Amino acid sequence: MITVKDIHKSYTKDTETIKGVSFEIGKGTIFGLLGPNGAGKTTLMQIIATLMKPTSGTVEIAGMSPDKDLLKIHKLLGFLTTEIKLDPVSTPDRLFDFFAELYDIPKDEIKNRKEKAFARFGITPFAGRRISELSTGMKQKISIAISLLHEPPIIIFDEPTNGLDILTSRQVTDYLKELRNEGRCIILSTHIFSVAEELCDEVAVLVDGKIVAQGTVDELTALTGEKNFEDAFFKIYVENHKEDQ
Amino acid sequence: MKGNGMRTWFRGAKTLASGFFRKHGQMGAQAPVSTFLISVGFVAVIFFAIISWMWWWFPYHLFSDEVYDIVAVNAPQSFIDYNQYMQTSRDLTSKEYGSRTDLFSNFDNIIRFNYTYDGYGATRFIYKENHALYDFVTFGKWMRENNAYLTVVFPEDFDGKVNARVKDHNLEKPDILTYYRTNSLEYTSMKEDFIDIYLQGYQDYLREKNGWAYANVNDSEIRDDPMDYTGKFSGRNFMLDSLGRSFVPLLMFIVILYAAMSAGTNVIAGQKELGTFTGILMTPVPRSAIIAGNLAGVTLKALIPVIFITAPLFLIRYYRTYAVIPAIIIHLIILAVFIAAITLLISVINDTVVSAQTAFLPVFLILVSVCVTCIQNSMEREDFYLSLPVYGQFYGIGDALAGTVSVRGILISSLSTLLLALIVIIIAERLLHNERYTVSIDPVTAKEIRQARAGKRSAIETANKITDNIVFFFREILYPLAVIGAFQLIAIVPVAVAYMRRADYSQYISDLKDISSVEQVIRKTFEVITIFMGDPLFLVLMTLAYFFMIAACIIHAKRVFKKNTFTEAFERCGLPLKGPGKIAKEYLLGLIAGFIMMSAVCLILTVSGQIKISGFGIGSSAVKLFFINLIMWFPQGASEELLFRGYMIPRIESRYKMAVAVFFSSLLFSVFHSLNMGYTPLASVNLFLIAVLFALIYIKTGSIWMTSAIHTMWNLSQGNIYGLQVSGNEAHAAIINTAYAADAKDIITGGAFGPEGGLAVTAVTAVCLMIVILLIANSRDFTRNKNA
Repeated sequence: MITVKDIHKSYTKDTETIKGVSFEIGKGTIFGLLGPNGAGKTTLMQIIATLMKPTSGTVEIAGMSPDKDLLKIHKLLGFLTTEIKLDPVSTPDRLFDFFAELYDIPKDEIKNRKEKAFARFGITPFAGRRISELSTGMKQKISIAISLLHEPPIIIFDEPTNGLDILTSRQVTDYLKELRNEGRCIILSTHIFSVAEELCDEVAVLVDGKIVAQGTVDELTALTGEKNFEDAFFKIYVENHKEDQ
Repeated sequence: MKGNGMRTWFRGAKTLASGFFRKHGQMGAQAPVSTFLISVGFVAVIFFAIISWMWWWFPYHLFSDEVYDIVAVNAPQSFIDYNQYMQTSRDLTSKEYGSRTDLFSNFDNIIRFNYTYDGYGATRFIYKENHALYDFVTFGKWMRENNAYLTVVFPEDFDGKVNARVKDHNLEKPDILTYYRTNSLEYTSMKEDFIDIYLQGYQDYLREKNGWAYANVNDSEIRDDPMDYTGKFSGRNFMLDSLGRSFVPLLMFIVILYAAMSAGTNVIAGQKELGTFTGILMTPVPRSAIIAGNLAGVTLKALIPVIFITAPLFLIRYYRTYAVIPAIIIHLIILAVFIAAITLLISVINDTVVSAQTAFLPVFLILVSVCVTCIQNSMEREDFYLSLPVYGQFYGIGDALAGTVSVRGILISSLSTLLLALIVIIIAERLLHNERYTVSIDPVTAKEIRQARAGKRSAIETANKITDNIVFFFREILYPLAVIGAFQLIAIVPVAVAYMRRADYSQYISDLKDISSVEQVIRKTFEVITIFMGDPLFLVLMTLAYFFMIAACIIHAKRVFKKNTFTEAFERCGLPLKGPGKIAKEYLLGLIAGFIMMSAVCLILTVSGQIKISGFGIGSSAVKLFFINLIMWFPQGASEELLFRGYMIPRIESRYKMAVAVFFSSLLFSVFHSLNMGYTPLASVNLFLIAVLFALIYIKTGSIWMTSAIHTMWNLSQGNIYGLQVSGNEAHAAIINTAYAADAKDIITGGAFGPEGGLAVTAVTAVCLMIVILLIANSRDFTRNKNA
C-alpha cells in the first residue's frame, strides 16, 4: 500500500534531515517507525502523508503518486499528528459533521458513522460539550474518531499514545489491532517500546535520518543479541548515532 | 474536473464558508482581546475625529444654494459710485440689446461674470465697516449672513491714499484684500473674474474720472486671501453631500477592513496557530476550494456589518435615489472581495493570528490613507479615478450617495478590482501548495534551520545596530520637539486669531508681508511672542500647555519605562511623590538657590555698571499680568526639567553611559533655547553649562524637584523681579524696572537674548558648577543616590 523509495529531505542547503529512506508496507500490517527525538520521524510521516514533498525520491500510496492524484490519496489516508489539535471552542459533534462534509460523505451516512464512532470511544455523553472542557484522553479519542471517519485503508499515526494514561492508551492500541485485522495498512511512529513490541508487525529504527535496522521486533532483538527490545534499540542507537552532526 | 470532483469542490468550499457563520466554527485561533480593544479604540478615534471635524464645520454648511453677493468693507465713496454706475450701464445695455451674451467679445472669459453681474443673477454689494483688516472671523460671519462669496476689504481712506499716491508716486500702494470661499472652484474663478474685470474696471474708472494720464499703473495692490468657507448647496443637503462623499464611504471602508481582518486572520493563520489546518489539508478538498470557501466566508462576514451600517442611510431621502442601492451594493461586494482576498493572502503567509494582523496593519493604513486622499481630492478629481480599484469604489459610493451613478465607472472599477483580487487569490492558492506555508515544522528541525541561518546575520545585525542607535537619538530629539511644539500651538493659535481681529494690529500684520530673510522671520517671530507674553490670555493658555506637556511626558514615560502606575512613572521621571517634607525642603532650597543665582547675576551687572535701576513697583494695570506670569513660571520650569532632565537622562542612561545622557540632554536643551531671538554663541555655551549644572543637581538629589524650583525661580526673578529678558523673551511686569546702561556691553549683559547670553551668567554658572562638583565628589553616597 505504501512504497517509499530513497527519500531525501533537507530544510536547509547544508543539512539533510532524511538521508535516503526506503521501505514498503503491505495491507493488514502495522509498521512501526522508531527513533529518538529529532531523528526525522515527524518529517518522514509528513512526507508520507503528502504534507511535504521530499527533496528527492518518491512516495507511492496505493500505486498513486501524490504529485498526480493528491486528492484521491487524501480519500485513502487517515492522518493523526503528535499533538492533539482540535478547535477548543467547537464540540465533537460539530467537528465530526464539519470534517464529514469536507470528506464528502453522504448526509445520512454521516449520522450513522458518527453514532458508531462515538459509541465505540464513549464520546456520546460529551458530544455536545466544548473540546476545551474535555480531558486529554477524550480529546485524543475524538481526534482518532474524526481522522478515521472516512474509513481510510491507510492510516498514519504520529505517536498515537503519546501523553495518554494507560487506560486510554490500551483502548487506542486495541482499536489499532482491530483496524489491522480489518486489513488496513497502518504506519505509526513512536518511542514507546511496549507499544511497538505489542503492536508492530514490522519495525524500522530511524537514527539521524537513516533507517539503520528493519525487521520484526524479535528479529531486531535477536540481531543485537540483547534480552529485550528496549536494550536492542539502545544498542542500535549507540552504534549508529554520531555526535556533532 | 469530473462531476464527482466538482461536487467535492463545491461541498468543501460551502462547508468552509458556512463555518464562518456557525458559532466558533472556523477552527481557528481567536484574536487576543487586546487586539480587539486596540482596533475598537482605533475605529472609535477615527469616528470621533471625523464627527468633531464635521461638527466644527457644521455652521458653515448652512449656506443658501448659490451665492453671488459681495461684502465690501470700508468701501470708499468712489467704489460705491462705480457700483452704481455699473448697475445703470448694465441696465442700459440690457435694454438696448435685449441679450446679455452679445455684449462681450471675450465670451469664454466673461460668461460667468456676465451672468453674475448683469441684471439676472445680480450681485449686490453689502457695505460694512471694520477697522481690523484681518478679522477673517467677522468677515466669514458677514459672508454667511449675507450670502456672499467674497469680501473685499479696502484700507481706510482708500480714496485719500490713492489721491496722495497720484501726487507722490513713492508712497506705499494701498492694499485691497479679498477673502473668498474656497469650497468650490467656481468661487475661485468668480473671485479671479472680480479682480481681473471688475476691479480693473474700477481702476480705469478712477483714472478716467480723475483725469489721470497714465494708463497701466496698478495704483493699488490687490491681494487675495483664501478663506475656507463652504456652502455650495443649501445647508442640510450640502452637509449630506459632503458626508456622503467623505465620512460615509470612509466608515464603510473601515468597517469592511476591520471585519475582513478579524475574520480573515482567524481562518488559515488561526488554524495554523491551533494546528487544525493540517486536518483540513488532509481532506480531499482541493486547495482552490479551501481558498474559495474561505474567501466567500470572509467576504460575507465583512459585508454583514457594513450592510447594517448602510441600511439606515436609505432612511434619509437625500440618499434615496433610484440607482443608489444597486450601485452601492455592487461597490461594497467588490470591495469586500478584494479586501478579503488580501486578508486571505496575508493569512496564508503567516502562522499566527497576531502576526497576520500585524502584517495586515500596513494594508489597513494604506487603504485608509487612500480614502483620505480620496476625500481631499473629491472636488478636483479626474474622471479616470472612477476606473481605478479602491478609488473607484470610494468615489463610486460617494457619487451614488450624491445621486449620480456612472455605469461605465462601476463596470471598469469592478473589473479592475476583481482582476487584482483574482491575482491575489491565485498567489494565495499557489502558496498553499508550498509546504513552507502549510506545515508546521517540529521544534527540533526548526532549531536546526535557525542554526544554519545564524552565520549569515552578523553584517545585518551591525547595520541594524547602527540604524537602531540613530533612530533612538532621532526619536529622543523629536520627542521634546513634538511635545513642546504641539502644546505651545494650543496657546499660540487662539491668541494669534484674537490679534488678527484687533484693528490696532492691522498695520502690524500688513507689514509682515515685507519679511524676506530668515533672520527677519526669527526676529518677527520673537517680536510676536513678546507681544503675546504681555497678554494674559496667552499666559493662561501657556500655563495650561505646560501642564499638558507634563501630563504627556508622564504618560509617555509610563509606557517607555514600562511602569504599572503613574506614581511609579512620576518617580522614574525624577518626581518622587513620597515624602512631602523632603520634597518641600528641596523645592524651597531650589527657590532660594535660583533667587541667589539670579541676584548674583544682577549684582555683577549692576556693580559693573551694565544695568541701571530705573524704578520700583508694578503699575496697577500690570498687577494681573504679574500674578499670571508668576503662576506660569512654575509649570514652565517643571515641564522643561521633566523633558530634558527627569525623562531624558534616565531614558538615555538606560542604553548608554550617564555621561552620554548628561551631554546629550544638555546639548539638546541648549539648542532648543538657542533658537530664541538675539542668539549668540556664548548663549549656547551658557545654556549648555546651566543644563549640565541642572543635570548634576538632578543626579545628586535623585529628583528634579530642586532643579524645577531653580529653573522656575531663575526665570521668575529674572523676568518679574529684576525685569530682564528671559532667553530672548521680554518680560512685561516686573517689580524692579531695569534698563541697560548706554555703554552696556552685550558680551557681558547678553544683549537682546537676556543675561543668559552674557558673561555674567557664565561666571555665576561656573561657580555653581564647581560647588556642585565638589559636593558630589565629597559625598560617598553618590552612587546610591544615582540609582535611587
